[in-house]
Amino acid sequence: MIRSDNGYFGEFGGRFVPEILLPALTELEDLFFSLRDDPAFWQEYVTLCQEFSGRPTPLTPLRRLSGQLGGAQIWLKREDLNHSGAHKINNVLGQGLLVQRMDKKRVIAETGAGQHGLATAIMAARLGLEATIYMGAEDIERQYSNVFWMRQLGSNVVAVETGAKTLKEALDEALRDWAASVETTHYVLGTACGPAPFPELVSYFQGIISDEIKEQSMRQMGRLPDEIVACVGGGSNAMGAFGAFLDDHEVALVGIEAGGISFEDGKHSVRLSHNTGETGIAQGYKTLFLQNADGQLGDTHSIAAGLDYVGVSPILAYLSQQGRVIPESATDDEVTEAFSLLMKTEGIIPALESAHGLAGGFKRAMQMRPDQNVVINLSGRGDKDIFNIARAFPQREWTGFLQREAARSTELLAQKRGH
Amino acid sequence: MFPAQFDKLQIMSHAVVGFPSLEENEKAITGLADAGVKLIELQVPFSDPVADGHTLVNACYEALKHGGSVRAMLDLATKVCARHPEVTFVLMSYLNPLYRFGLEDLFEQAVAAGIKGMIVPDWPVEEIEPWLPKLDALGLAPILMVTPNTAPQRVEKIARAARGMVYVVSRMGVTGHETQWGEKFQNYIAEIRKHTDLPLAVGFGVRTSDDLAALNGKAEVAAFCSQYIEWQRDDGSEVAAAKMKSIVQTIAAA
Ligand SMILES: Cc1ncc(COP(=O)(O)O)c(C=O)c1O
Repeated sequence: MIRSDNGYFGEFGGRFVPEILLPALTELEDLFFSLRDDPAFWQEYVTLCQEFSGRPTPLTPLRRLSGQLGGAQIWLKREDLNHSGAHKINNVLGQGLLVQRMDKKRVIAETGAGQHGLATAIMAARLGLEATIYMGAEDIERQYSNVFWMRQLGSNVVAVETGAKTLKEALDEALRDWAASVETTHYVLGTACGPAPFPELVSYFQGIISDEIKEQSMRQMGRLPDEIVACVGGGSNAMGAFGAFLDDHEVALVGIEAGGISFEDGKHSVRLSHNTGETGIAQGYKTLFLQNADGQLGDTHSIAAGLDYVGVSPILAYLSQQGRVIPESATDDEVTEAFSLLMKTEGIIPALESAHGLAGGFKRAMQMRPDQNVVINLSGRGDKDIFNIARAFPQREWTGFLQREAARSTELLAQKRGH
Repeated sequence: MFPAQFDKLQIMSHAVVGFPSLEENEKAITGLADAGVKLIELQVPFSDPVADGHTLVNACYEALKHGGSVRAMLDLATKVCARHPEVTFVLMSYLNPLYRFGLEDLFEQAVAAGIKGMIVPDWPVEEIEPWLPKLDALGLAPILMVTPNTAPQRVEKIARAARGMVYVVSRMGVTGHETQWGEKFQNYIAEIRKHTDLPLAVGFGVRTSDDLAALNGKAEVAAFCSQYIEWQRDDGSEVAAAKMKSIVQTIAAA
């Protein structure tokens, strides 16, 4: 896995935080640096992932779909089969090991799609920690099932009402909480962004994905894949899927960002490709941000809450500047189409975030030869998106069900109050 | 100018550029100057002000809708610095708007406008150090922050790079909440004084005349910001200035 130069990857990265957060970040960095080369620590982490999250996740060939598209053989790395339903739990389990070593009793997290919040809520329940999860009010509406489960698991979910009420604001609010609570609280940052050491640390734990892909492709394909494709929100599943292949230059690494509705300002979350992102310093780090000429961070849009973010991993900003990672994007419409295609052809229900990787990956596979192999990182499963998908494919039956269910739960509440 | 070490406590107050509007900023600053405030921060609003509590977050949000920007701050500074030569104006901003403007240009134009210092909460000392020769040549003072959890060695490093004043963050957290001024706080101040002869500006949670009475004799400057912005928001700039006047008189009499 890639290493920073004092927190920097080329010109990107760094640690631009209020002074109050510095001691916690250096403490975390010292601990991480003392553990990351220790094989016993890595083994402890791998065992935890096996016992608790069902790793290794399979590498599934999509034989029917590959035949139908007529290009390269497409394989899915099944991060959707993790406990909690997404790759986010890898990072959270790793940070859980650090929390135990730091002996902190409270964790906080930001979340967009709710997958990272859910994973954090699961870890907190398992380790007996208090957890507060910050989530944009807009994202709460989009991903309510995850909010429901986080609360059932005992976490405090706080709706963030500032600005556009999405992931960016949730991250700001988590940083504000941390400034007041840093002595007793660990901030479980959910993606390969933020101040050093988070980009490096999150990528380290997520690197388990590419370690497995490497071993599985040698076993199942007899060689390394020609391409690896992953969706890019903050960049953690992409860094996880790419990490072990950075020096294997014959393997193309492709990141798919959220193309949203159009390239107009505020209608997409494309930072790496198309020169839409510009170098800036915010939320604790330097990277390509969507921002205006005054340096104010911009509004974003994606059908997938987990990709709806203004910044991007400084490591990916660097790798795409170097030409090692190829950035592309997929629009909301292409994504729902790919979602449907995978579901109907292969019987797998993807998360809308991951469906960006599918849309981009299918397109690329079609340009390739049948003797070539493309691995798409299926970062999560689509159960959380039932309401979004129902909206994308409206059905009278579903609306009727929701109305009956709303009536039933209203009645239940009234009965409960009556007692 | 900045106060000297052990000068009597004075108040630093605040303007968020564009809040409630650019025109109102000028009137509000005249009100503060007439009230006897000698130090005023001009805050460039930012979309993601992570060190601020809800009062200033919301003020930033409003200010951005009303044209707040680095450019607008410079224009405002040019006017108010000329109009109120007895007041020392300090630029306060998060790093990104300044970075996008171009740091070198910004420093030069800020000094030309009459700005004497700058407070940038997300700009760590390591990143500022390379700029010190330039800032010293221009006479623009980086007012750096020390927090209750800053290790002594780091306080020393920060104090060495700071100019004008050292900004003492009174407690953990963001702006806008209450603070306790007991023995722990006094030990904290004493520890910082070991490393610097600069005056200390205490900020975060200075909201009442009781807070000011507690700081009297302990610090040279009290940053009275969120509470003032709340007055401005709820009662308008004139009433806010009147309230500041009575606060300034109380500490002058103390
Ligand atoms: C399933 C899934 N995939 C991808 C992402 C995007 O995050 P990242 O780019 O860090 O992998 C999210 C974020 O919430 C997610 O839930």
